[in-house]
Amino acid sequence: MKYHIIALGCQMNKSDSERVRTVLEGVGYHWTDDEEEANLLGILACSVRQKSIDKVYARIAKWNKWKNSRNLLTFVSGCVLPADREKFLKLFDLVFTIAELPDLPDMIRQYGIVTRHAPVMKPKDAIREFWMVRPTYVSEFEAFIPIQNGCDKFCTFCAVPYTRGREISRPSPEILGELKLAVEKGYKAITLLGQNVNSYGLDKQGAELTFPGLLKAIGEYGKSSGKDFWVYFTSPHPRDMSDEVLKTIAQYDCLAKQIHLPLQSGDDKVLMRMNRKHTFEEYQRITGSIRSILPEATIFTDIIVGFTGETEEQFENTRNAMETIRFNMAYIAVYSPRPGAASARWNDDIPMAAKKRRLHVLTDELTLHTMEYNRNLIGKKLKVLVTGRDRKSGYLSGITEGRIVVRFASGQPIPPGTFVWLDITSAATYSVEGELLNNLIGIPEPA
Amino acid sequence: MGSSDIHPRNQAAKNSIVRTVNQVRQATEPVYLRKIFRLKQVRQLTPEAYVLRFDRNEINFRAGQHITLGIPGNNQVREYSIYSTEQDASLEVLIKEVDSGLVSRQLRKLIPGELLEVDGPFGYFTIAAQDLQRKFLFVGTGTGIAPFRSMAGSYPALDFSVLHGVRYATESYERHHFPHDRYTLCTSRDDQGNFRGRVTDYLKQKSLDFDTLVYLCGNCDMIYDVYDLLTSRGFPSGNIKTEVYF
Repeated sequence: MKYHIIALGCQMNKSDSERVRTVLEGVGYHWTDDEEEANLLGILACSVRQKSIDKVYARIAKWNKWKNSRNLLTFVSGCVLPADREKFLKLFDLVFTIAELPDLPDMIRQYGIVTRHAPVMKPKDAIREFWMVRPTYVSEFEAFIPIQNGCDKFCTFCAVPYTRGREISRPSPEILGELKLAVEKGYKAITLLGQNVNSYGLDKQGAELTFPGLLKAIGEYGKSSGKDFWVYFTSPHPRDMSDEVLKTIAQYDCLAKQIHLPLQSGDDKVLMRMNRKHTFEEYQRITGSIRSILPEATIFTDIIVGFTGETEEQFENTRNAMETIRFNMAYIAVYSPRPGAASARWNDDIPMAAKKRRLHVLTDELTLHTMEYNRNLIGKKLKVLVTGRDRKSGYLSGITEGRIVVRFASGQPIPPGTFVWLDITSAATYSVEGELLNNLIGIPEPA
Repeated sequence: MGSSDIHPRNQAAKNSIVRTVNQVRQATEPVYLRKIFRLKQVRQLTPEAYVLRFDRNEINFRAGQHITLGIPGNNQVREYSIYSTEQDASLEVLIKEVDSGLVSRQLRKLIPGELLEVDGPFGYFTIAAQDLQRKFLFVGTGTGIAPFRSMAGSYPALDFSVLHGVRYATESYERHHFPHDRYTLCTSRDDQGNFRGRVTDYLKQKSLDFDTLVYLCGNCDMIYDVYDLLTSRGFPSGNIKTEVYF
């Protein structure tokens, strides 16, 4: 029996899909890249944008047609609004929240499909049972570890509080256990995942480590393990970003000097309407702290253009904010209302042409800063994690600790997940090129 | 695509699996932590506005926070600021029925004894312990008065004044919860309040101590107008906290 899963949207869904793989493979299914030959097809849906939900409907329409000619079981999970869930029940064979994943084998068996025995897990605390499913990592060097589920922030453009529920922190021993296992297996880039990672532990009101405490525990393990790896996290919320987090990162080599801090808008009034609960001034104070406590860190962000009511002046404030902060990367999205999110009740009053123009303006702004930063890397010797083959023949790709993409020629095969050292020789908008220091492949520190 | 397109074998099992999934869903409530509460009282304040009172159960909140509320099984919830105080035995929310609204109209039809789906508390529109000795200006429009009623009742020693913007004086709701000398009703369409005009018109005539903490709650236009007015006078934006109603 073969299965195929499509994970739409954010990294959280991709990470969740790795746990789905474990459960399915545990009952005898095998992965296929070709959905046409699969007996079981699933989607981890994303409710952040309408486009993603449209993709779910398009896919299930196709799959249900296939059912006329062969036996096929379909499921949907992930971020699904209650109203969509009701509709999906009529289209998919199985609709379940991701926390119900441990029950998937039982659900499959109810369709008369004989599966290999899998341990019965009766959930008392469903999301904990889900976290206890060991993921089947897709990558050989990069692992994603969920540290919390849900969101309490209620940003008006986002439906996550209605799809994943409120913030629940995963017990720190489980996180550390999963991280240690990944490191021991040779994973080199490990990302802690959550909707608001830096509010980790706050829901437990003193009965759990806080986020800096969790980072410290990871840092101590990194120090004692003698292993070489980088730990990232995404996404933090500016409201909960403290100097303590930054100082903890500064203390430990394994905590990567890269901060992804969503800005969303550089205008205070748009931020109010988005219910972000921070001002640009406060955001700037945090990036100032990052520059002073972690001077080598890169800063990434998320921005939405064309949010309901965003005036030209307010947009200009976002452009100014980009000029001030000088991000190393910005994931810029054109606003589209998502039914279920609070902002969907407001007029989506910015014309698409204006949204696209704003997107281009910000992209141009971004490239000025990325180019400037990347040029400054020329002549530097950087440690790089090899991620795979580059599009250019004879070249490999990698990332720096700050997640800057590096391309380099290599006369020898170097497996992904290997640390190498490179002399940076040239810069492009979103990447740099380097020359391999052959005597420093897999060696933690340069001579 | 309807259910008739599903393969017969799959279709045959469909009903039982849906039932199973629903049973599992009930067993996995901790994912959402939504609770079912029983409505104790409906207090009609105006033809459109009403207060729902229900058991407090184990919800511990800080004045200014909100909860989500809906009818169990209806798949729709909305956020409402908590109207009652931290000390009250019951939980209350102030709701205005919106013509185009879905949940506010459903909730309006409830009678005592019926069930509500409640989750929370959430939010950061609260007063930090270290600020309790400071001076506050609360500005709310319509049902945006709710968190301020909770704050005023929860912290009796609080030094505050409240500015309530409504169209007609009949929409002052339960103004008796506020000390008479701390409450100013701004009415835009009649003369029955303390001031005829919008809250921004009132504020234009008043000076404001820059150490004051200003809390704004209500529709976004009011919040933008007050924010612009205050910051144009040099009032520090860091002393302004907002809660947008939608």
